[in-house]
Amino acid sequence: MKIKDGYVLREVAGNWIVLPLASETVNFSGMLTLNNSGVVLWRLLEQGASKDRLVKALTDEYEVSLEQAASDVDSFINKLINTGCVEE
Amino acid sequence: MKAPSSDNAYIRCKIADLIAEVPCGEGLESICEAYKWNYEGTVDISIDAGLYRIDKYDPRISRETVAYMESAYQFYLNLVDFNGFYLHSSAVVRDGRAYLFSGPCRAGKSTHTRLWKELFGKDVYIINDDKPALRHVDGKWYVYGTPWCGKDGINMNEKALLAGVCFLKKAPENKIRIVDKFEAMQKILGQTIHKFDEINKLDKLLKSLELFLEKIPVYELENVPEVSAAELSYNTMFKGAKEAGL
Repeated sequence: MKIKDGYVLREVAGNWIVLPLASETVNFSGMLTLNNSGVVLWRLLEQGASKDRLVKALTDEYEVSLEQAASDVDSFINKLINTGCVEE
Repeated sequence: MKAPSSDNAYIRCKIADLIAEVPCGEGLESICEAYKWNYEGTVDISIDAGLYRIDKYDPRISRETVAYMESAYQFYLNLVDFNGFYLHSSAVVRDGRAYLFSGPCRAGKSTHTRLWKELFGKDVYIINDDKPALRHVDGKWYVYGTPWCGKDGINMNEKALLAGVCFLKKAPENKIRIVDKFEAMQKILGQTIHKFDEINKLDKLLKSLELFLEKIPVYELENVPEVSAAELSYNTMFKGAKEAGL
């Protein structure tokens, strides 16, 4: 799974947001806000990563159970799918 | 900086303290009338009718409307290079300070600034009723009238110090609160243009936004459209601007 071209992650006043560029994101004009773990996942997805890799990143980085990490990854991915900014 | 065009089918204007050349024709000359500026030197912004994205519009839309929308867009693309952006809002000025009321369509922006006029009469004027230009110049935020001002055509070629921004929301009673930087950032991005082809334009906008969030108080006013709502917004924002040293 990978982030499509045309989305950029930026920090503004201490907050992480994802914004689209005009040329490649016709149907998305809003923005996404990410928390710290969202930023970790986003950066991996920019390079392309499997779900297992994302879950592992969360359990490595934070003190969370495997179940909790898997559920966090699922809801994060759903958020991205709803925005249309990821591809298989 | 661009070399001035020798083509006399352009008029020179000063908009938001920037020298712009605007193509004549398609109604632009008349909407820019109040901004004309006699000037022979280099220009900051050059609007090019050849770059209008005509394909984006329904063919039934008039050429004048396309020229209006596209010139506004081109000015905006350049404005971000000069530490500025448009905020979708109605901007009202009292004692040299501009108070901006923003929000989505039908949030009651124009209605609210009309209530200020009702409350303060000749002491206030509307600098722009749709998309004033905001610029950070020498450490201060200014609000400027622009020729692009929405359906009512209310705009003045004036500038004023920015006192604060208030997002409006219709509600059964009047209530105002200051919003934190995170919410302010989301609200402002929701009412400005942040989709660019070039990543460096986006980064310039975000840099301006960061400076903006450091200095400018942002509020949300839940309101009933009556004069008491204008009193509440003025009293709160006036005090907030004073405390912020604006």
